[in-house]
Amino acid sequence: MRGRPQERVAAYVDRMLSRRRPQRFKATAEELEAIAAAAALATARPGADLPHPGFVEQLGRRLRAELDPPRTGAGWLSRRTLLQAAGASAAAAVVGAVADHAIVAELSARESTALVPTQGSWRPVAAVEQLPAGEVMPVDTGSMKVLVVNEGGRIHALSGACTHLGCTLQPEAQTGRITCPCHRTAFSLGGQVVEHRLAQSPGALPAVESRIREGQIEVFVV
Amino acid sequence: MDAGSSAARPSFTVVEGDIYTDWESVYRDNVVGIYQLVFRRVGNPPDAEDLAAEVLMHTLRTLRFPAPVHEVRSYLVKTARTVLADHWRKHYGAPPTVLDADRAAREPGLEYAPSEAASERALRILELLPDRFRRVLELRFLRGYSVREVAAEMNITAGNAKVLQHRALRRAAELGEVPPA
Repeated sequence: MRGRPQERVAAYVDRMLSRRRPQRFKATAEELEAIAAAAALATARPGADLPHPGFVEQLGRRLRAELDPPRTGAGWLSRRTLLQAAGASAAAAVVGAVADHAIVAELSARESTALVPTQGSWRPVAAVEQLPAGEVMPVDTGSMKVLVVNEGGRIHALSGACTHLGCTLQPEAQTGRITCPCHRTAFSLGGQVVEHRLAQSPGALPAVESRIREGQIEVFVV
Repeated sequence: MDAGSSAARPSFTVVEGDIYTDWESVYRDNVVGIYQLVFRRVGNPPDAEDLAAEVLMHTLRTLRFPAPVHEVRSYLVKTARTVLADHWRKHYGAPPTVLDADRAAREPGLEYAPSEAASERALRILELLPDRFRRVLELRFLRGYSVREVAAEMNITAGNAKVLQHRALRRAAELGEVPPA
């Protein structure tokens, strides 16, 4: 773009004030300072620097399309996948279906213990309405993996580590179970072992303390 | 523990108020602030949208969760600074001196500030300008006059109105309240 500095800066300001993309040109340091000052003054009208809602929504969709699939594939399932999770009744039906080709544990073979960290604290993880019946929400605090479960309206939390060797458990959307990818052990949404292929049944999943405060689900974790 | 009936509240997944556990929380909390931050540098929505998208896409692709809120904010602002510097260099041939890191670190504006604060700062700059400089910029930026309309209002030629606008903007930059590009 040719012209004297005042012409080039005026052209930039013209397009800027009409909320269009300014033309590109090789600017001097003085011109850059002038157009930077112009950009700052463009905010003189309150609200001029707020984004269009359509932009926020569209960029959110782009990000979701790019960022959600890999996490789902990684195994620590996203909430979206879990929206399709079956409820506790479906889990019970699956227990019968797999009985022929797997060792089915006695549901109360081992008592689960509660996992109560000594230096834990209550942390909000989601609003109650974010976790419909049948859904499991994985929460990773960095120190603990926790599964927050809505089991037919009863919200509670379980350890997200397998009681066999500590592999990270995965909620299984199709069956409404929680499964271990390492040795095919499956747990119910209540934390009981419903299937395993080990010599001895592993223990039930330890409960993690949870509560609801002002519509928020909180878990006691580190 | 039963869910029971609880009053509906805005949903959020920030743990203890200072840790992000997922990208959606980061996006929801920061998209407006990042857009404003770059808009205040470029002054137009098309560039601001492209640059804000670049900042957020880059940051969210590389973040690992959980992540402390202050670190995420700091990372977002650093990324914005880099993206803006690339913008000026690529499209306006900005020399390295203008993009000097120490200078950038001292600049105001690369922080989250509400719309009203940015507006007040802009108005304060206008107040500090000499009469004719203030007049031309008020007509242009507050009242939306074209250069030709400014010229008619101030009884000068369009060419002189452009010169006056250019000098007024440079004086505004010199006041130190307005960060250079």
